[in-house]
Amino acid sequence: MTEQRPRDPGGLGGQSRRDFLRGSGVAAATAVLTGQATGVLDEAQAAEESAKVLSGTVEITLKVNGQERSCEVEPRSTLLDTLRNRLDVTGPKRVCDRGSCGACSTIVDGELVYSCTTLAVSCQGKTIETLESFETGEGSVPHAFHQNDGLMCGYCTPGFVTACKAYLDKHPNATEEEIRKGIDGNICRCGTYVGVLAAAKAAAQAKKGA
Amino acid sequence: MAEWPASPSVIGKRIPRLDGLLKASGKAKYPSDVHPKGLLFGAMLYSPHAHAKVKSIDTKAAEKLPGVKAVLVIAGPGTTLRYHGDDIAAVAAETEEQARDAIRAIKIEYEVLPHVVTEAQSMAEGAPVVFKGGNVKKGRSQTKGKPEDTMAGAAATIEATYTVPMITHVCLETHGLTVGMEGEKKAIAWASTQNVYGIAGDLAQALELDRGDVTVYTEFMGGGFGSKFNADVWGTTAAKLSKMAGGRPVKMFLDREQEHCAAGNRPSATAHIKMGADREGKIVSVIAEGHSTGGVGNGTNMILPYVYRGVPHYSVGQSNALTNRGGSRAMRAPNHPQSCILTEAAVDDLAEKLGMDPLEFRLKNLDPGSPITPIYQAEIPIGAELIGWREKRKPRGKTGTGPIRTGLGMALHTWGGGGNPGKQVSCTIHPDGSVDIKTATQDIGTGARTILAMIAAEMLGLQPTEINSLIGNSSYPPGQPSGGSTTTPTMAPPCYDAVTKARDALFKKVASAFNNARPEDLSLKQGQLWAGGEPVASWKEACRKLGTSPISVTGEFVEGLSSTGVGGCQFAEVSVDLETGEVKAKKIVAIQDSGLILDLLTWESQVYGGVIMGLNYGLFEEVVMDPTSGRMLNPDMEWYKLAGASDIPEIVVRAYSPPDEKGRQVIGVGEPPTISTAAAIGNAVSNAIGVRVTEWPMSPRNVLNALATASREGRS
Repeated sequence: MTEQRPRDPGGLGGQSRRDFLRGSGVAAATAVLTGQATGVLDEAQAAEESAKVLSGTVEITLKVNGQERSCEVEPRSTLLDTLRNRLDVTGPKRVCDRGSCGACSTIVDGELVYSCTTLAVSCQGKTIETLESFETGEGSVPHAFHQNDGLMCGYCTPGFVTACKAYLDKHPNATEEEIRKGIDGNICRCGTYVGVLAAAKAAAQAKKGA
Repeated sequence: MAEWPASPSVIGKRIPRLDGLLKASGKAKYPSDVHPKGLLFGAMLYSPHAHAKVKSIDTKAAEKLPGVKAVLVIAGPGTTLRYHGDDIAAVAAETEEQARDAIRAIKIEYEVLPHVVTEAQSMAEGAPVVFKGGNVKKGRSQTKGKPEDTMAGAAATIEATYTVPMITHVCLETHGLTVGMEGEKKAIAWASTQNVYGIAGDLAQALELDRGDVTVYTEFMGGGFGSKFNADVWGTTAAKLSKMAGGRPVKMFLDREQEHCAAGNRPSATAHIKMGADREGKIVSVIAEGHSTGGVGNGTNMILPYVYRGVPHYSVGQSNALTNRGGSRAMRAPNHPQSCILTEAAVDDLAEKLGMDPLEFRLKNLDPGSPITPIYQAEIPIGAELIGWREKRKPRGKTGTGPIRTGLGMALHTWGGGGNPGKQVSCTIHPDGSVDIKTATQDIGTGARTILAMIAAEMLGLQPTEINSLIGNSSYPPGQPSGGSTTTPTMAPPCYDAVTKARDALFKKVASAFNNARPEDLSLKQGQLWAGGEPVASWKEACRKLGTSPISVTGEFVEGLSSTGVGGCQFAEVSVDLETGEVKAKKIVAIQDSGLILDLLTWESQVYGGVIMGLNYGLFEEVVMDPTSGRMLNPDMEWYKLAGASDIPEIVVRAYSPPDEKGRQVIGVGEPPTISTAAAIGNAVSNAIGVRVTEWPMSPRNVLNALATASREGRS
């Protein structure tokens, strides 16, 4: 058997997401960099030397929950990993790490995004909201989740709360069926959907009453 | 013998969990969230092959990469790797990106060996062996009476092979921990575990420390379902990496792929079943031969026949086929969901053969010797009413003419649960009126923290929010690992014991301060101290009389507060598209007994959650292995299918709770409600489409295959 490079643990079929980012995403990502990242390989070189490690960091500033936060990231760093590992904003969770489950849901410029498949460098100058910034009093989405027991282990909960708030902000008159569609990008393993839907309905109701 | 209060003010109510808002606002810090000073990020290198030998491993390049602080080889040259996902090496680095780069930079030469990943591969003659000694291990076999002779004389018989695949736990927080050294002799860890007390021992052993030198915190954890009882290789490896890196804490959580491949599974189960009944509809004989795989671990220990243990004649044989997959672990009601599917499918098919209503058939065949039988007899009519069995159910296959057919199915389940002696809870009443409850158990999503506070509040006449319910710390009094629906029934009695003893000690100390009352004249309710039927002081005022001496009591298990053994029944209504094979669950009804319910709100959540996990098992989940490469093809959350909000049907949950049910005390409800859902769904699908789908899940492929087979054989 010949020597072989172990497969990237995060990837599918040999081509990992990070390889892909290295190959194609970096070109787009560097376009929005304010400073030149040192050591960034260009696209052609990256493709040629796919086994070569990309290194180098860049200082960026992100507007997170109303605060300007600076940190060093690599061009390939996701928004999720940047929030969690560098800025200690750990509400959004890493679960599938591939845009399938919604646990990392974050609101960027008013739009719900999967932060595990969003590059941090692409978020400069944008408004980033995580659920830690949400109101928690009566009538709020987190409050409704608490009262309706829309959570068990709680690890998917930040994603559901964020998706629910983002959806209700845009669709204050949503029906239950519409709410289901609105949160269909999220997965719970404990099976809290009944409580989640009750919470979402209660939050929608409270919003209308407000 | 201790007794729960006859007319409680807190117990049995719907109490939102104490930590619910922390979780719903993103402020709860899970073990994967903590960021102690000097944190390093860990990453694991695991086998891309199902079966291989490590010929050589070179970590030099990895060690030289920027940010890398420690590299540890787990599987050195000569080590055999037995499954995709098997541990090889680990790295700790300043950033997670650097740790992953270092993993890629480790050079390994493998000798790839032939593998067996399916049961057929494993059981084939001359198959490569997973371990020395052969792949197929005989499991428990049982024979009672004369099954062959009785079968020959039965009025009706069925014979079929039913199959349910391996699934994985899919804990949303993957397995792992954050661990660091404090000097040479102490370690501190934040572990995602169901066993905060026990895991401290695992880490102490790996670090050659005493158990008490390791403190483990599990304030919150993101799901376990039976797979998170030990520190595991990655946990002890992280501790060693921390030691290598001068004690800096290391965060090590598996990636999703390794989580699927290596962190446990519920074993598959296949059984060839013959079942026969007499003319009256009594099952007289069962002959079953089963096999299963739990990868490199144990297979399913099939309980056949399940529930209907009164069958007079049966013989059951089973074997475990080792395969090159990660090892099985306990998963929510181990062995029961598989046993339920296999039995209840056969029971349904036999009722069909006899032309009997499967509900009546089940009632006829309940085990007269089981204490659960009267519970089933009471529950089944309630469930039948709620699903509309009498009005809606049509005989199998007589469900209309269009491409969309609807059908009803049902199944029964049982579970033990119950409390065990040996664990402790402490209760401290402080002079300022604050109350601390401490025990080294953990809340895996069941609401354990809230339950303990409710018990304390009940006995002290307070609100649950006034109690500090402190769990998830290995230095607290020994608490129960969360498994087998035993946490609540095991922890509730010592909690009751600690609180009642602390309360009585308080009465003794302060009685004289209130009109020279005797301690036995005092009581607590509505936040007040009462003496002889009059409120004499607020709780805080009463506690102030303690002066500078708090009361602290450690409670032990006491008899009379918990028991064991439950039964439940579930009904499913589904629609099936005959053209696409797509199954939609329309409604599920779950009737569950579990003795005294402590928190009705979180109890209901448990039952809903169990049903939904069962719905996933019934409709979506399976580990898909590639027989050629030996790799898992769906180690993600895209192709490993789990229900989203749109897949959730109307779910009706009822506690079977007549007055005497409370007399059965606290039992625990984590496992039971997930057992029979998938069986009920499968039976509903067969009812809808007129043919038995013998393979779970009820995926389009399996449904269409069943229809095609039936059509080929001229059965539909």
